[in-house]
Amino acid sequence: MTIPEAKEKWTGRVNPVTLGATKAEGGTRGRAVTIGGADGIPFLGFDGQTPHPPAIALDVLDKPPAEWPRPLAEVYGDVWSDPAAWARRAKELGADLVNLRLVSTHPDEDDRPPEAAAETVRAVLAAVDLPLIIWGCDVAEKDQKVMPKVAEVAQGENCLLGAATETEYRTLAAAAQAYRHKLITLAPCDINKSKQVNILVSDTGFPLTDIVIYPTTAALGYGMEYIYSILERGRLAALSGDRLMAQPVILDVGYEAWRAKEARATGGDADAWGPIAQRGPAWEAVTATTLLQGGADLLVLRHPVAMAAVRNVIRQLSGA
Amino acid sequence: MIVFSERINGMYRDVRAAIPERNKQLIHQLLEKQLAGGADVVDINIGPSKGDPVENFIWLAQTVHEMTDKPLSLDSAKADLLVQVVPRVRQALPDTKLVINSCTAARAYMDKLIPIAVENHTGIIGLTMDQDGVPGNVEKRVECGATFLMTALEAGMSTDDIYLDPITLPINAAFKQQENVIEGIRQLALINDPAPHFIIGLSNVSTKCLLNKLLNRTFLVMCLTAGLDTAIVDSADQELIDAMVTAEVLLGKQLYSDEYVKAWRMQKGLPTGC
Repeated sequence: MTIPEAKEKWTGRVNPVTLGATKAEGGTRGRAVTIGGADGIPFLGFDGQTPHPPAIALDVLDKPPAEWPRPLAEVYGDVWSDPAAWARRAKELGADLVNLRLVSTHPDEDDRPPEAAAETVRAVLAAVDLPLIIWGCDVAEKDQKVMPKVAEVAQGENCLLGAATETEYRTLAAAAQAYRHKLITLAPCDINKSKQVNILVSDTGFPLTDIVIYPTTAALGYGMEYIYSILERGRLAALSGDRLMAQPVILDVGYEAWRAKEARATGGDADAWGPIAQRGPAWEAVTATTLLQGGADLLVLRHPVAMAAVRNVIRQLSGA
Repeated sequence: MIVFSERINGMYRDVRAAIPERNKQLIHQLLEKQLAGGADVVDINIGPSKGDPVENFIWLAQTVHEMTDKPLSLDSAKADLLVQVVPRVRQALPDTKLVINSCTAARAYMDKLIPIAVENHTGIIGLTMDQDGVPGNVEKRVECGATFLMTALEAGMSTDDIYLDPITLPINAAFKQQENVIEGIRQLALINDPAPHFIIGLSNVSTKCLLNKLLNRTFLVMCLTAGLDTAIVDSADQELIDAMVTAEVLLGKQLYSDEYVKAWRMQKGLPTGC
């Protein structure tokens, strides 16, 4: 008898999802970015193919961030009062996509109206030709007013809109579908809920193939292993043919990594941890490269040094 | 779980009458319910219907195929009939996946049917019995199952096309045999990696029993825990299918979500009632 083949035989595949629309596709983006499409375990070339390497988006906020530490201020401080200029910086640094957060619409921040948010989106779309990921302020009541407006002004640009949850999904799914955008479904660190949100969104008539899963994110030292195991289980379900889990995954690594005290603390004990200029990018890069092994397709990052390190790891692990 | 539907079978009086009458409507009505319930493979059996058995079989296969592209399981206890029917159905339906149901582990049967399976690119169900009949214990089941598996593999078949059936007998007639089926699956699952499929004719367990449906779904769940991954069932029995999906979720073969039954139906492209 011959020795049986050791590689896994998968029946499923991660959906490929294309973000951004070029002129030919009815938008104004310079190029579109496709994520997903893998039919095997990440970075195991013998197991299956990963036709599209993980893509990287850089964060852009619609107001100057109050608490970003010095290493980030040094990169963005001169442009962060203008989201369009900030987006141009992200493109110059080599981002695949711009991750725009409409934080100023938050009732406890500036409570800016939907029209102002729409204006910001318009300005960013005009400033750069990268595909856009657009998030509201994470207050459902406000997002339900802001996001339809945002979806409308970005019509045809095939943006990725966040985020539909188990209780709040109808408005966002309807807006995404009406104006031809892709949709993020969010279930915090709960794979079963993640599947359930996809069932609910799919029930509204939204295509399962236009969804990107956001399982939330945790940084190194702050519960990263929980997210890792969720990524792993989700990916195995997708590869085993579960079409409700076959969506590519987005992770918000920059936000989480830069919350870690190891990334931002100065003075006292922290001075013994190494130079602040290196600690943050390192924390971000290690979190990102670890989570990539579990199965992630789109990473939101902040620091260009972290981005370069992550790209390097992807290149080496892909054997490219 | 691979669901073979059992209802297009001449052992049922309505099907038995419909075959010589060439009553497609009745077959399609029954089939529609089996498909809506989640059948992956349609088992067809002409039973003791009147007329030429080969022509009856071809007609039944084509009639089912008119409604669905799903694989067909060609079901007869008569090896000589299957030897005639399988090439004819293969010729009539060149792109349809076929499974021969069934072949015992008796040398004479295997010599007849395994080459037919290889030549016609079909799967095959191997019964864990030989010329001495249905074993009364686990050991003989395992021996017959292993013999069948090795013979089919040596003939060039892949494990994915081989289904071992440890033979289910009615609880009101054969006490202890249900336990042997379960233990047989458990032991046979260990003899080869990758394992072949394991299949049972579920409704046999409750033949002429008053609480047949309860017996069916309870036994199905018990067998699933031992490694059963295929069953010939009444796929229109929704409580049965729900119990099967639930067991798969509890065994970690499907990812739980609050609406996991609906999720299963959505994935199969079945109506979800909303």
